[in-house]
Amino acid sequence: MIPFQVELERVLLGFPRVSEFMQLAWSWPLVESIHFTGLTLLFGTIAAWDLRLLGVARHVPMMEFHRLIPFAMLGFAINVTSGLFFLMTYPDQYVYNPAFHLKMFCVLLAGVNAASFYLARREGIARLNGAVSIALWITVIVCGRMITFYRPSGCRPGEAVGLLAECIVR
Amino acid sequence: MSADPLFAWLEASAFSIWMRESPSLWAFPGILAAHTVGLGLLAGLNGALDLRVLGVAPGVPTDAFRRYLPLMWLGLWMNVVSGIALVIAYPTKALTNPVFHLKLGLIVMSLLVLRATLRKPTKTLAVLSLAGWAAAITAGRLLAYTCSRLMVDEICT
Repeated sequence: MIPFQVELERVLLGFPRVSEFMQLAWSWPLVESIHFTGLTLLFGTIAAWDLRLLGVARHVPMMEFHRLIPFAMLGFAINVTSGLFFLMTYPDQYVYNPAFHLKMFCVLLAGVNAASFYLARREGIARLNGAVSIALWITVIVCGRMITFYRPSGCRPGEAVGLLAECIVR
Repeated sequence: MSADPLFAWLEASAFSIWMRESPSLWAFPGILAAHTVGLGLLAGLNGALDLRVLGVAPGVPTDAFRRYLPLMWLGLWMNVVSGIALVIAYPTKALTNPVFHLKLGLIVMSLLVLRATLRKPTKTLAVLSLAGWAAAITAGRLLAYTCSRLMVDEICT
C-alpha cells in the first residue's frame, strides 16, 4: 500500500491554487469552521434517522424521517470538499496519519452499512444498521479530532513496512 | 482588577497540569473529542429539528423530536463538563479571548432559541437557531487562532 500512498500524495499535490488559497491568513480557520458545521449537519440528521431505526419515535412512519437524508448527504458533500482542501494543502499530514486511516476506514464502513440497509430493508437488520451507523460516525468524529495528535514525521530506516505507512515516506 | 492570580492558581492545579501534560489520550485529546461528539448531539439534533420546522420531513410531527431531547441534554452536559475541563487546562487562553465570550453568548442564545422552539416552533426561530449554532461552532474553531495569551506568563505564538 505504500506506493499507493506515495502516488496519492503526488496526486493531491497537483492543486496549487487550492493550496495557495488555504495558505492565506484566514482560509484554514474558515474551512475548518465549514468542516465542523458540515459535521454537525451530517451527524445530526443521520443520528435522527438512526435513532428512528433504533425505535425512537416509532409511531412516526420510518420513511417520513428519511426525508432528512438528503441533508445528511449535503453535510457529507460539504465535508468531503472541505476535507479535500486540507489534504490538497498538506497531503503528507493525512496520507501517512494513522488517525486519518482509521477515520477513512470508518467512513467506508458507514457507506457499506448504509448500502446494506437499502439492500436488505428488514426491520431486524434496520435496528442493527442504526446502531452501527451511530457508532461509526462517533468514531469518525473522534478520529478526526485525533489527526492532530498523530501527526506523522519522516520515516527512519526500517520504518514504513506495515500495511499502511504511518510515517512520511520520502 | 486582573484575574491573573486566579488563572495562575488554576494553571498550577493538578488537574490543569494533567490536562496539558499527560501523554494519555484520555486527557486533552479525549476530552476535546468528547466536546465535538457532544456538539454533534446537541447542535446536530437541534439542526434536524430546525430543518423539520422549516418544512423538511412534514410527515414527522414536531413533537416527535421531543423523544430526542434526552440525547440533546446528554450532548449539552457532555460539553459543559468537557468545556470546563478545557478551560481549566488553559484558563488564561480562554478567558482573556473575546471570541470565547462571544462563543458562550452564542451558545446561550441558541439554547434560549431551542427553548422557545419547543414551546412554539416558528421558521424565524429555526433560522435563528441554525445561524446561532453555526456561529458558535465558527467562534469555537477560531479560538485556536485568536488567542493572545496562552498562559499567565506565556503569550500565544
